[in-house]
Amino acid sequence: MTQIAANSPAPDITGLQDADWQARLEKIAADPRMSEENTTIESASVSKIAMGLFGVGVVGLVLTFIGALSINGRHALGAFEVGVFTALAISLGSLFWVLVFHALNASWSITLRRQFENIATIVWFPAVLMIIVALIEITQGGVLLKWLERGGEYNHLLEVKAPYLNAPFFMVRVLVCAVAWILISRTMLSWSRQGDESGDRYLGRKARRLASFGIPVFAFTMTFMAFDFLMSLDYRFFSTMWGVYFFASCALASVSAIAIVATLLRKAGKLDGLVTEEHFHDLGKLMFAFVVFWAYISFSQYFLIWYANIPEEAAWYTNRQQHGWQWLFIVMALGHFALPFLLLIWRNTKRTTMLLCGMGVYLILMVVLDMVWIIRPMVYMNAAGDIDPGLAGIWLDIAGVVGVLGIFGGLVARKISKSPLLPLKDPMLHECLHHKNYV
Amino acid sequence: MDIKSLINDAKSLGADYFPMLMRKSAPKFVTESGNAVYGIVAEFSETPKVFSAAKKVRDAGYSKWDVHTPFPIHDMEEAMGIKTTKLPLMAGGAAITGVCIAIVLQWGTSLVLYPTVVQGKPFEAWQPFVPIMFELGILLTAFMCIFGMLALNGLPRFHHPLFSHERFYRVGNDRFFIAIEATDPNFDPIKTKKLLEEAGGTDITLIEDVD
Repeated sequence: MTQIAANSPAPDITGLQDADWQARLEKIAADPRMSEENTTIESASVSKIAMGLFGVGVVGLVLTFIGALSINGRHALGAFEVGVFTALAISLGSLFWVLVFHALNASWSITLRRQFENIATIVWFPAVLMIIVALIEITQGGVLLKWLERGGEYNHLLEVKAPYLNAPFFMVRVLVCAVAWILISRTMLSWSRQGDESGDRYLGRKARRLASFGIPVFAFTMTFMAFDFLMSLDYRFFSTMWGVYFFASCALASVSAIAIVATLLRKAGKLDGLVTEEHFHDLGKLMFAFVVFWAYISFSQYFLIWYANIPEEAAWYTNRQQHGWQWLFIVMALGHFALPFLLLIWRNTKRTTMLLCGMGVYLILMVVLDMVWIIRPMVYMNAAGDIDPGLAGIWLDIAGVVGVLGIFGGLVARKISKSPLLPLKDPMLHECLHHKNYV
Repeated sequence: MDIKSLINDAKSLGADYFPMLMRKSAPKFVTESGNAVYGIVAEFSETPKVFSAAKKVRDAGYSKWDVHTPFPIHDMEEAMGIKTTKLPLMAGGAAITGVCIAIVLQWGTSLVLYPTVVQGKPFEAWQPFVPIMFELGILLTAFMCIFGMLALNGLPRFHHPLFSHERFYRVGNDRFFIAIEATDPNFDPIKTKKLLEEAGGTDITLIEDVD
């Protein structure tokens, strides 16, 4: 046995020699599809869209603030949180997909992966908003999160749950999760960008190692944030399915957002021949899968609670079976599951760029409605006695969502123009360039 | 595709599975010994040759023919002009059937035939029926996928006329074959042979369908 020197590079188990790698890079660089014009987008053409989105976003947030003063702080914060958690679902889902693609060494998604990475990096925006929401909740002594209310009479359930549901631990959790998401997503993007410059094929393996450890980190942080902000809106309620329920929205919303971004880029004449109908087909399959997954998870949760009929669990649903919220239940069952199921099951819907883009917009709207279904009824329950804006106050809901998502979209648009539209020298790119669905 | 050929196809498929019930229609071509002609098979030695030959056969308008290779060849379905399978539609039909059976079965028994109070839940509650609807839909879809696939492929079968051709056994090793069946409306012993010759096939042989 020969001794390998301690600082010599690790032997390449793939058997790919440096010379082969250089030859492959040259072949990819010589591909006419990889021209500078096709793989980059000028910031000038994006800034117009970004400015428009920022404008819409700022107007929305200002209206939300006006709503907070004129109608009710609770309703405004509820509407704002719907937007924050939709944006968080989109960016966290993208982070999840980046990690999965690296961990599984996926090659079909490489020409799309930079967009996933871009959106994942914008996770800082909903994360910061989440911290702001947490600070408002703690300093105001519980606006939506009733368990943060100080004083009052003895509550046995709150006493029992106090080791988890207390303000300092809550703040620590929020900060840890936000930092974890921002660190992982930024590292992934920076390695991907480094690869564009240096063509270092070992970066892929580094990314795979981080991704494999990142997936459990993602799972825990995502679950606990869903518990803390969404499930604990009603501190009596508990569901072990809750993390998965939020995850279904994450995975669905991010794939929908990528379908929209990819369609816009293709319409701008970019990524021609790099992102083809084959890639849209695969995105469509993922959308279809997570439409079904969401339905499966949300029905399982509902079904078990309905059957067991334990008061503190069942109250969550009985609250939503009155005051008009039962209509939202039907809208979700038909609109979030039945209709997209029937539309996406057809091959042509998945392979037609504009149709899939339309489905993406529609499904993001459905994720927004899902967040409304989770957050808004609790605001009305908790705010008993406060001013009820009724249907006339619906502009506040729209303003909160549009405000957050507008600024989020603007940030994403600005990010897209800052680097090439795909990882130019990814180790598996040659496979992606010939990607085809044989089914 | 006209109705007559559809009926013919269905008949021959039925005769494959239930020879005691149905007979195949009389063969169009017969050899001197009186056996029906299965088709003509041509041999190829390289992948590109069989690929371009497949395109030629496709463009000549044949529909009942197959390419036999030792390994899968990408894009062969395009070169052969194979249309998208009907299996998804059949599976979809089976899924709807399964869901409907589940609905009728459960509503019929628990609402009409034998209403029973279970855990104090209302009779007309739809929630407990959903898992059964889901499972039965999945079950029938899976059955249709498996058995429909087998039927569309003409499987299972004990024998295939091509196995009477000694050289055909090299399809498991290093040779590629194109076989055009005599049931194809465009089939003509002389013209088809010529087409395969022009396409670069060697050892072109007429195969008999010996019962």
